[in-house]
Amino acid sequence: MSGPQSNRLASGGRIDRSRALRFTFDGRSYSGFSGDTLASALLANGVRLVGRSFKYHRPRGILSAGSEEPNALVELRNGARREPNTRATTAELFDGLVAESQNRWPSLALDVMSVNSLLAPVFVAGFYYKTFMWPAAFWEKLYEPMIRRAAGLGRAAAEPDSDSYEKVSAFCDVLVIGGGPAGLMAALAAARSGARVILTDESFALGGRLLSERAEIDGGDANAWIARVRDELDALANVRILTRTTLFAAYDSGTCAAIERVADHLAAPPPHMPRQRIWRIIAKQVIVTAGATERPIVFGNNDRPGVMLAGAVRSYINRFGVAPGRRAVVFANNDDGCATVRDLASAGIEIAALVDTRASSPQYISELAAHHGVRLVNGVVTDVEGRLGVRSVRIRPHAGAPFTLDCDLVAVSSGWNPNVQITTHLGGKPRWSDTLAAFVPGELPRGMSVAGAAAGDYALYTSLAGGARAGHTAAEATGFSSPPIDTPRADDEPTSIAAFWHVQGTRHKAFVDFQNDVATTDIALAEREGYRSIEHVKRYTTLGMATDQGRTGSVNAIAILAALTDKSIPETGVTAARPPFTPVALGAFAGHHRGRTFKPERRPASYDWTKANAGVLVETGLWLRPAYFPRAGERDWLESVSREVATVRSAVGICDVSTLGKINVQGPDALALLERLYANDLASLRVGRARYGVMLREDGFLMDDGTIARLDEQHYFVTTTTANAAKVYQHMQFALQWLWPELDVQIASATEQWAQFAIAGPRARELLREIIDAAHDISNAAFPYLAVGDVTCCGGIKTRLYRLSFSGELAYEIGVPARFGPALWQRLLLAGEPLGACAYGSEALGVMRIEKGHISGPELNGTTTAADVGLGAMRSRKKDYIGRVLGERPGLVDPARPALVGLRPVERAQRLRAGAHFIARTAEATAANDDGYMTSTAFSPSLGHWIGLGLLRHGPQRQGEIIRAVDPVRGEDVLVEVVAPVFIDARGERLRA
Amino acid sequence: MPDPILQPASAVAAWTPVATAGLSIDVRDDLTIAGIAPFRGKAQAVSEALAERYGLALPAACRRISGDDITLQWSGPDQWIAIAGRGAARDLEVELKPLLAGPAAVVEHSDARAVGVFSGKHARDVLAKGLPIDLHERAFRVGDVAITHANHIGVTITQTGNEPAYEIMLYRSYADSFADWLRHATAELTA
Repeated sequence: MSGPQSNRLASGGRIDRSRALRFTFDGRSYSGFSGDTLASALLANGVRLVGRSFKYHRPRGILSAGSEEPNALVELRNGARREPNTRATTAELFDGLVAESQNRWPSLALDVMSVNSLLAPVFVAGFYYKTFMWPAAFWEKLYEPMIRRAAGLGRAAAEPDSDSYEKVSAFCDVLVIGGGPAGLMAALAAARSGARVILTDESFALGGRLLSERAEIDGGDANAWIARVRDELDALANVRILTRTTLFAAYDSGTCAAIERVADHLAAPPPHMPRQRIWRIIAKQVIVTAGATERPIVFGNNDRPGVMLAGAVRSYINRFGVAPGRRAVVFANNDDGCATVRDLASAGIEIAALVDTRASSPQYISELAAHHGVRLVNGVVTDVEGRLGVRSVRIRPHAGAPFTLDCDLVAVSSGWNPNVQITTHLGGKPRWSDTLAAFVPGELPRGMSVAGAAAGDYALYTSLAGGARAGHTAAEATGFSSPPIDTPRADDEPTSIAAFWHVQGTRHKAFVDFQNDVATTDIALAEREGYRSIEHVKRYTTLGMATDQGRTGSVNAIAILAALTDKSIPETGVTAARPPFTPVALGAFAGHHRGRTFKPERRPASYDWTKANAGVLVETGLWLRPAYFPRAGERDWLESVSREVATVRSAVGICDVSTLGKINVQGPDALALLERLYANDLASLRVGRARYGVMLREDGFLMDDGTIARLDEQHYFVTTTTANAAKVYQHMQFALQWLWPELDVQIASATEQWAQFAIAGPRARELLREIIDAAHDISNAAFPYLAVGDVTCCGGIKTRLYRLSFSGELAYEIGVPARFGPALWQRLLLAGEPLGACAYGSEALGVMRIEKGHISGPELNGTTTAADVGLGAMRSRKKDYIGRVLGERPGLVDPARPALVGLRPVERAQRLRAGAHFIARTAEATAANDDGYMTSTAFSPSLGHWIGLGLLRHGPQRQGEIIRAVDPVRGEDVLVEVVAPVFIDARGERLRA
Repeated sequence: MPDPILQPASAVAAWTPVATAGLSIDVRDDLTIAGIAPFRGKAQAVSEALAERYGLALPAACRRISGDDITLQWSGPDQWIAIAGRGAARDLEVELKPLLAGPAAVVEHSDARAVGVFSGKHARDVLAKGLPIDLHERAFRVGDVAITHANHIGVTITQTGNEPAYEIMLYRSYADSFADWLRHATAELTA
């Protein structure tokens, strides 16, 4: 049967026969033409066995010609671009395309896993729940891997995706979803009014079903009409046409999401081109002209390659110039399906019979059959015979004896389902129409309308007219009026139907959901086991739960369940369709947000210097802060960090603290606000001084700490930790806008305005003297510990100087306008060279704060109170503040709460680990004996051994006690001595020097 | 003793190279910017003081107005910013503080912001890849201001011209990440 495009028709089709494209399927080379899909090219080459089914590994072919395809799923491309479960019916052919069938081993024609078919009784509805119950220990280790290997479809690429994706927002007055006859008319009518129009279509060509039918519009070929409309729309600046774009979701307020396959039709996107793009479209009016999807009839072996939807048969003949078979049987319950004999005949395909399920066919059909010399049988096809493809069908006439006909193609139709999915994404339910034997859109979301086949208007003229009306009405609703446009001349072809779903008395298994291998027997079993709600049957049988969301199978399933439960179809109801309408790659949702650009990063003043000097950066929130600065010859981070600490303690170091949050608080009520935000007293803070402050949450736990500087009577400048900057700013806004709107205060973030550096160490003042302009006195007397003032540096640059210390040494923080930050950083290092200065990072800062017993993130962890971390005395008793009342709950003031202590190893050489739990020396290491845990540890170069901070039950009273620090994760158990949490300069003399 | 002059660093150095055919990027490293936040009931007084000095009153919400030597821009409920060229040594914080002492909080933002003007026929399409708002001239007119985000980065955008031209303002520390995104968003134009 196969050969070089042996099934290509001699002429016709919307393909470019001058552009041949080579491709391979399962390693074999074929050729097709530009304008083909992979499916049409395979059919042109006589390939009809394309895949194996999910559960039973049954041979499968090509059912449809669109995105509803449940069978022809392949792995497309290879390497990093290998994409499983790609529908061959929508994959555009390109030169060099490589596709592999999936879910088969060792080969498509000989798949040993098809033995599952023999085990079908095991794999019935609910088999996951029944078969793999016992023993529980097998679930993860045996059953799950086994099920996954046996049942998985394609393989995803193992390498990182080498393509890029992006997202874009678009706004319009009128969004038209689907560029078929109704959609084109809707877009045209709206566009002529001047409204901003977006038209999306999932195919690479506009026209919808017109591309697949031999229709006439305005007395000529419909294709010529499509081209004229396209030309007019293209010329209008207020219209955007998005082809290769599937609108996959409707959200609130006219927001829709669409996926554009920008480069899927190319072997690889050129470097500048995204592979796919997500469109977020916000439309005032949405017109759904998404067409309809044809249903198959359920009969024995109805999943064999060669059984194809009648509309798809016409697509392959008319659009792609391919004969999908040599000898066909048409099996339908409606005029549209029956009329397929006309296109088959004109393509020169032999027609063995037209089987119409109706008791008698309308005159139109019987005349058509007679005209083409086709044998018309009123009856049903009961079974297909043939294993890897259709060889013959068994026909049971309503009157007379069953008989068998040889054929290789069954064109099947049980009517069309309007594509109502988009109309139901916001919760609407479709409505059953007996006339159409289909669900049609029910109540629509505000601003949405439906036209054409999606509204159940299948016939051409009605569809064109409905589209024109919808476009006009939608434009008017957005304030664009123009005279209604004329509907072009076209005929309404007959579309009568008599509902028919399921052939009884078949010899072979009859499938309802092809992609998930759900057969009629599974639905019957589910019903016998008590599952009568369609939603339950769906989940129990997995019907409609594959990536095609049951687009071809769901209504048949509903009808079968309705019959089993003696209910009508509307009584049985319909399962909810949820976004996305077709599968969307996760990469497209991620867009630019992957790898290093997963989230934006913030760079402080010293960033460039740090990079240039091989400094190591660490993430703190979005910030990238210098962690430490290795020097040549240093073996590891510990050596570098220890050297930085020693330099600060003996000479001077410079640290970038630009990332700390900084907030201006100004106004007549600035103090009143701060007094309510901070737990400690601030009323006594004088102008020109700063103070340490702690902020509690409403529930009484610590929220953040920082400094409050008073720059002026009504102007305060507060700092926050780097990680909590945004949270504290929000907290302040909440207090101002909601708790106390009567307070007259304005707050403004100043984090980004100031580049700020800590200068710490006994020689800090010497270094600063080199930088601060001579006019400013920075002696200890003029600028004592906790002083704040505006000065100038480096010849008149605005500077704000603070005498604050986190390290415990004589220290300052110097702030300059951020544009001078990088230059000041280098100037400080240069000026500090003769003093033995070095840059130090957050690691050294961390070591020094542990040496001083200052709390940081590990202690400010949302579960500690001020008293827990030794700051209980700071809490003011003279005022009310956020967190005061709830902070006095018994649980929060319990003296037994773990409280801050220092720890040092009894054996000084031993390492301490944060996270280790404290256990009394003689107690067993169990949760019941847990006395608290180690929050922070560091190697103290000043002391020459590891030290730690921890929260210990009754901690302050246990100084001198030897306890154990047990770390079951690392298997360590270390004897530690409880000491005061300040290891260096307990009296704080250095920082006041 | 090192040279006493510190060289200022550009916040937006990484933006300029992203410009391409159909997209001009005019980076503004020369601005002095000050925040003006009137205290309770003082907006009118602030507006009058500004009008007397510069001939411009505070603009309405989501609007910007420009005079000969100053631009006033809404920046949030009860908050505005004043923008001007820095020239030799102009400093709007220093200039406005005495003028508005009492009725408003004045804070310097000159260094806190990275600013550039994006213009050209592709400007709108490029920005649409990051900004989730409607930039069409029917929806966003010259002088309109929006506070929104681009690529998860907070931005303030102002339409400054019909070319179209948009001024984008964002926090300085995000400027390089914004450039990363811009390169991604403009890749298609560089083909």
